[in-house]
Amino acid sequence: MPKQSRRDFFKTTAALSAVTAGVTSTKIKAESKDYIPDKAMGVLIDTTACIGCRRCEWACKVAHDMPTASLDTYNDRTVFNEMRRPDHTALTIVNEYPGKELDQFPIDVKFQCMHCNSPACVSACIVKAFHKHPNGTVTWDGDKCIGCRYCMVACPFQIPAFEFDKAIEPDIKKCDFCFERTKVGKLPACVEICPNEVLTYGKREELIDIAHKRIELYPDKYIDHVFGEFEVGGTSWMYLSSKEMPKLGLPDLPRATAPGVSESIQHGLFAYFVPPLALYAILGGVMWINKNRKNSDTEE
Amino acid sequence: MKKNLLIFTLVLFSSAFIFGQNKKAAVDHSQVKGLTCKTCHSCDIPTKENPCLINCPRDLMVTIYQKPKDAPAEIIINKVKDNKDLYTPVKFTHLAHAEMAEMSGGCISCHHYNPPGDVIPCSNCHEPKRKREDITKPDLKGAYHRLCNDCHRAWSGKNDCNACHTLNAQYAGGKKQPIISKDKKRIHPEIKTPEIIKYETPKTNKGKMVNFAHTQHINTFGLECQSCHKNDACIKCHDQRDKSNAKPATFTQKHKNCLACHDTNNNSKCNMCHTNDAKDVRFNHKARTGFDLSKFHSKLSCVRCHTTKGKFTGLSSKCSSCHGAWDLTNFNHAKTGLKFDETHAEFECESCHKDAVYNKPDCSDCHDDKTYPKDKPGKLVR
Repeated sequence: MPKQSRRDFFKTTAALSAVTAGVTSTKIKAESKDYIPDKAMGVLIDTTACIGCRRCEWACKVAHDMPTASLDTYNDRTVFNEMRRPDHTALTIVNEYPGKELDQFPIDVKFQCMHCNSPACVSACIVKAFHKHPNGTVTWDGDKCIGCRYCMVACPFQIPAFEFDKAIEPDIKKCDFCFERTKVGKLPACVEICPNEVLTYGKREELIDIAHKRIELYPDKYIDHVFGEFEVGGTSWMYLSSKEMPKLGLPDLPRATAPGVSESIQHGLFAYFVPPLALYAILGGVMWINKNRKNSDTEE
Repeated sequence: MKKNLLIFTLVLFSSAFIFGQNKKAAVDHSQVKGLTCKTCHSCDIPTKENPCLINCPRDLMVTIYQKPKDAPAEIIINKVKDNKDLYTPVKFTHLAHAEMAEMSGGCISCHHYNPPGDVIPCSNCHEPKRKREDITKPDLKGAYHRLCNDCHRAWSGKNDCNACHTLNAQYAGGKKQPIISKDKKRIHPEIKTPEIIKYETPKTNKGKMVNFAHTQHINTFGLECQSCHKNDACIKCHDQRDKSNAKPATFTQKHKNCLACHDTNNNSKCNMCHTNDAKDVRFNHKARTGFDLSKFHSKLSCVRCHTTKGKFTGLSSKCSSCHGAWDLTNFNHAKTGLKFDETHAEFECESCHKDAVYNKPDCSDCHDDKTYPKDKPGKLVR
């Protein structure tokens, strides 16, 4: 039996409930009301230019007052031997994947919160601790959070990280797009430090145009796919690469928004309370038939 | 009619104006051929002060080639400045790098397109500030690093900032901030060309090795390094990465450089190069065919004379078989290195050169006491 991850389990159960409730015709929301094209900022990550120096990891920790080792230790490339994920100690990480051809350079990919146009974490949070800002940033508010960790389950990129090692007042940690810095006109810390300008900060709509222009100019260099342009309804952070995205740790995701799917399931499940009523009716009917059968048995 | 006259006068004046401006401009427009003004300039009347150059990449481009020595030996890269800079500026040994670039693409390896006129500094197009309006191209810091890292990353497989930079923090407070400097006169050492390169070909059944007469190819055919090595990066020689997992080259890739002259697709001719022993395969055109290429034919590619690819035999060594009939009107004898004096200038070729290959002349028809090369019918011009 293939190993089933926690995520797969949630997916299957959600899909099953959707089917039983008969919501196949329910429309899935395509565009979020939170996404304001004129104001939404974004970052385009050109993975072909990344050299894996990990200065972004260092800058991120410094900008967020998180403990970090000295800059020199980031030259150590043995960290690439294993795949890492952003967690409560590092809001962004760089992983290394084999190059396009065996004799070519490895491809280094920075990973962090994607700041979705319609964030699943915002939708899933029952106390509105997550907020989507007009500039595209998704932030978390520790004063409201009750620590239910629904956001962790809902996120299609599995980004929000919980400080499990803290007994008192644990936080949810994730990239905040350097909200405090951008508010005062500064660039996000990782964008500012990147030596190769792998990360380009700008208006999301403009970045999409630039990305497609680059693909058009260098068709041999890039595959024709801007990751994050449409994935889960679009994300603020987008990727260009020379290799298929799923091979670079960027999941193969549908165009439908993540909350769109979960909300439609939930709303369909309880639409006008008809499906539950129908379910009770069917169960009642079964009971009634069984009871009748018993009665006729005793009569004989 | 008056209107037409007015337009004509206007056009006349503006063209005269443009011509005048062009004379002042740093760009030598005589090198620009087959292009219109609008190829490079966006406005109607470009001036030296406002050349209104269209941003690169343009559809068409004029590329010129300069010698490494024409450029400064070293440049201090300090245009990217920030108060919180982690590193000191970099001293860039331009000459050494330009000489290395000669091995591959030349100036255009870094200065894209290298259009005529003064070399355009990177900062003309790449803005020094990261937070900027035009984000279509990388900022100056990004542009520099991308160029450097293309090779330096390949060189060692490391991303060592300290290879070029010194940390600012280590020298905070000190007035003199050391810049990593290498000798100004440092150039790439002369590359020793191997006499024979032995390629081991254990996988093919056509023979266990190919003995490539490297020096012979250069001398016989007058080849420059770039003729074959134009796409080689530094790591061709300096690669320190693990090559064991490199993808094997395809048949075409392996034979790419030979294909220009040799018919490598013809299966029956493999043993021209592939042998089982280390025999001397050096091919001497003069010894084998009697026709010396080194004098006047060294710069020609094989196919200029051997027009059928892969077929090298059967050419007549008579000059007329390629050049047609030579006579007084179409042959400039000075090109051979000997300019006739007045007495000899009027003679037909055959008067002195008795054979059809124009070898050593025979003076005996007219002179009893003179022989070539002791006596010459003119003066040597080279």
